[in-house]
Amino acid sequence: MTERVRIAQLACGSEYSGVQNEIADAAEAVDAEVFFPDISLADIEAGVKEFGLDVRSGDLKLAIGRAKALVDGRVEADAVFIATCFRCAEAAIVRNELRRYIHEHSSLPVVSYSFTERTTAGTLLTRMEALTTIARRRALLAREEQTGLTMGVDSGSSTTKAVVMRDNRIIGTGWRPTTEVIGSADETVRLALSEAGVAREDIMAVGTTGYGRFLVGKHLGADLIQEELTVNSKGAVYLADHQHGASTVIDIGGMDNKAISVQDGIPGTFTMGGICAGASGRFLEMTAKRLGIDITELGPLALKGISKNVSMNSYCIVFGTQSLVNALASGSTPADVAAAACHSVAEQVFEQQLQEIDIREPVIMVGGTSLIEGLVKALGDLLQTEIVVPPHSQYIGAVGSALLASGFIKGE
Amino acid sequence: MAKVFIYPATSLILSDLVARFGHEPLGAALSIRERIQTPGLESPPLQITPEDPKKGLRYAAVEVPSGVRGRMAIYGPLLEQSEAAIIVTDAEMAFGCMGCARTNELILFSLRQRGIPLLELTYPKSEEEGVQFVKAIREFLAGLQEGGS
Amino acid sequence: MAAYTPRLVGTVTKYVFVESPDVMPSDLAIRAYEVSEGAMIKETCFGLQVTGMPEEVDRIIRHLRSIDPHHIFVKDRGFPPGDPRRCRANLGGARPGYFGHEFEFPLLRFVSCGLRAAEEAAEEERPVEIVIREARPALDIRKLIEIIESEES
Repeated sequence: MTERVRIAQLACGSEYSGVQNEIADAAEAVDAEVFFPDISLADIEAGVKEFGLDVRSGDLKLAIGRAKALVDGRVEADAVFIATCFRCAEAAIVRNELRRYIHEHSSLPVVSYSFTERTTAGTLLTRMEALTTIARRRALLAREEQTGLTMGVDSGSSTTKAVVMRDNRIIGTGWRPTTEVIGSADETVRLALSEAGVAREDIMAVGTTGYGRFLVGKHLGADLIQEELTVNSKGAVYLADHQHGASTVIDIGGMDNKAISVQDGIPGTFTMGGICAGASGRFLEMTAKRLGIDITELGPLALKGISKNVSMNSYCIVFGTQSLVNALASGSTPADVAAAACHSVAEQVFEQQLQEIDIREPVIMVGGTSLIEGLVKALGDLLQTEIVVPPHSQYIGAVGSALLASGFIKGE
Repeated sequence: MAKVFIYPATSLILSDLVARFGHEPLGAALSIRERIQTPGLESPPLQITPEDPKKGLRYAAVEVPSGVRGRMAIYGPLLEQSEAAIIVTDAEMAFGCMGCARTNELILFSLRQRGIPLLELTYPKSEEEGVQFVKAIREFLAGLQEGGS
Repeated sequence: MAAYTPRLVGTVTKYVFVESPDVMPSDLAIRAYEVSEGAMIKETCFGLQVTGMPEEVDRIIRHLRSIDPHHIFVKDRGFPPGDPRRCRANLGGARPGYFGHEFEFPLLRFVSCGLRAAEEAAEEERPVEIVIREARPALDIRKLIEIIESEES
């Protein structure tokens, strides 16, 4: 494989939405290039027929023909990017089926995205970074054990987490709300080092992830600066002790949610959404505040309630909260309201994101919201499965970073 | 000489016949050329910028996908100046500017709403059909001339 | 987004497709070069691309069409030839429009038949020249009687 990652693009509408250049720029930013698999008209006709999905749009037929060429090995690529217009039903069907088809019939990492004219290179960057990391760093991602003394820092949009690990064990953790990115990172690093009882100079390698990964990574002189999709996948299967086989990792974050279909610890397909705050941890924070309880109390309270007893008119963080307030005013119990809030978030994630990937058990929930038991139960009910919440799940990004960083210890 | 919208708007056959019989074919290339030759902000490959789907709101509502609205920004002005149209109804293998079925449905509907002379026919699949195809187009275009278009 | 400065402003580019047993793209290119006065001529696998000011391109196209009228087909193109934004070498694969050409190209021979038939029909429809022969003078009745009588004798 060449150093520059070649991403095959299967798309409909990107040129006409004015976002093709944004896709190309996002790829360029991670030293990759998008290209269009070279096939003939006969390949398109045969490909569509074999695939068996009778679509009307020519460009979707073209995407199917190109996907077949990739799977059959007639065209070489390192990764696949599938992109179609947001709100197009025909394209959504093709996008999902192609993603599944490529995932099942090849080892190519694939990411799909539905864009609007507002999509920018910045929005696509994390996805492209994950895609190229999987293509480029398979050896690094194969790591199953943490060695030496390493540290991972996850600079998230809501909270910053740090973990110190030694010889495959977590020996120190630190947690703080993210205020000033570097200041919060320094504080959590200090807490983790103190708990571990080691000095900064003793740390043999550092990894950073999360929104502030570049800034914090530069500040700490990190050996590995990595987006959270690959890091969290790795961290989740490591903590859940399920490094082999298939699994699904779900992280409902403060600003966006990730759902990742993982095979042997490496993300296969994933979605990353952040359209609505009503489907995020923020909504649960607001609910806890309205109920006058700490966020840590919301989960146990929700477990005692019945979500159906409260009617929610909207998923929206504003109007949804209004429904909860109205329910309280009309006599609903705080437990039912807490349960309804958890159900609302879980249902949105289920409807809007989990349809985009193949759910394979075990389903592992990570991130701060995985500590809200009511949310875990609500999502488990919707998925009809027992969700696994591994120990230290709230430190997932930091653990994944510390684990992967051990690959950078000199002499390793 | 009449301005004749061709469908598919990327058709070599229709573009050729309309021009050959003395009329002006209105196809996708004209709008793309206009964009390629107009200074502005760089947005390769087609110089369609995120502003185009917004211009397309004139032809399709905001809940319509951006790709449809962006394409309608290309076709809308051509549809508005068209004085006649020739439509090949079995153009299933059309791509790029004609690669979106939803846009194509909207184009056909807009043409049928305009009350301009329309000729609808299918691609020729034999020599005999080729004769009928060219004859129908030639007579249709000749009729436009007689009508003083 | 960076500022965009277009090139070749005011020009038009036309595809010239040839689907003929007698004329090859290279023949067409030579004939185009002969009459072009500064227009860009690019030979392709299916024919030519001609780029220049509209009148100049129209003049060249008229000339090319006359070489083999039923087998030469012309279409507008938005981009000048070899534009990196549309070039196969840069995209990895063909631009989408190429497949549309691939679809219509085998149908051109049927259209050629139609064009030939249309030309023949036009010939037949041409008003027939009516030749009015000079009328012979009617036979004089006395002369007729004379002839009849001589026959009977």
